[in-house]
Amino acid sequence: MRIACPFCGERELGEFTYLGDAAPKRPAGFAADGGELPSAQDDFFDYVYLRDNLAGDMTEHWYHGGGCRSWLAVTRSTTTHEIKAVRPAPGAGASRAG
Amino acid sequence: MADYLWSVGSPLRKAFVPGRQGVLSGEAGVFLAELTGFSLVQVMARRGRWADTAKAAKTHYGVAAPDRPTALFGKQATLVWSGPDQFFALTSADGLADPLAPLRGVFAGIASLSDQSGGRCLIRISGARVRDALAKVSSLDFHDTAFPVGTAAATSIDHTNVGLWRAADAADGSPVYHLLVFTSFADSLWHTILDAAAEYGVDASRAGVFA
Repeated sequence: MRIACPFCGERELGEFTYLGDAAPKRPAGFAADGGELPSAQDDFFDYVYLRDNLAGDMTEHWYHGGGCRSWLAVTRSTTTHEIKAVRPAPGAGASRAG
Repeated sequence: MADYLWSVGSPLRKAFVPGRQGVLSGEAGVFLAELTGFSLVQVMARRGRWADTAKAAKTHYGVAAPDRPTALFGKQATLVWSGPDQFFALTSADGLADPLAPLRGVFAGIASLSDQSGGRCLIRISGARVRDALAKVSSLDFHDTAFPVGTAAATSIDHTNVGLWRAADAADGSPVYHLLVFTSFADSLWHTILDAAAEYGVDASRAGVFA
């Protein structure tokens, strides 16, 4: 399997590290954020532990640690391993805001 | 408090053996050299300040900052892409002067600087069979059309991160590559390349960085 890094070009799988689903977003309302919402415990349990087990296209975080050390959002079919899109993860590269 | 005497040593002091190695007959197919006498600074643009950083680099070094995997050769410095919005500035140095001192004002507020002079080992690999040797240890395509002079890459060789770029061809037309590797991995990488190149005959030496 090869991944076309948007910064480096096409590279072998060994240069990348897999993190997992890119969909979970950190929920608001935790004590550290200033005041705990009643739903925070459940939201955080879901965010930390619960993952969808998709058969099909999934957007995942991959790290190009063996190259330019950028986080990437890779859309991959979990059934065929076909990679359909690779883009920099939000915040990758200092010129991008966010 | 006891004073500690820092002594400067080659990161290849265990692996480096000068002279001919591997196959001894015929002309050496691969030339390996540890390059010394350089200072290396990593410049990383702060968020949203790449354009300012590139402009400051152009003014200071007289050569554009690389915004994609390339190496740009100026009179005083070689600027090598090392990732998005960051690059290495390689300059010649023969003393222990702080390489950051002249740069602090240039990049103040727009980029973070990190002195890597003692943190990396710089290896030059060239010769008529250099591509055959590199093909065994790297997954990159080093063909002229895919990797012309001035191309750079951040990649891994033997599970070791390296910064790699192609410099101007040698006098006989064979390609010349430069490799930057963390000092603590330099011995290991040197052995790996030496093993890969042994069948072509290797000539190992030390040289000044811009010699």
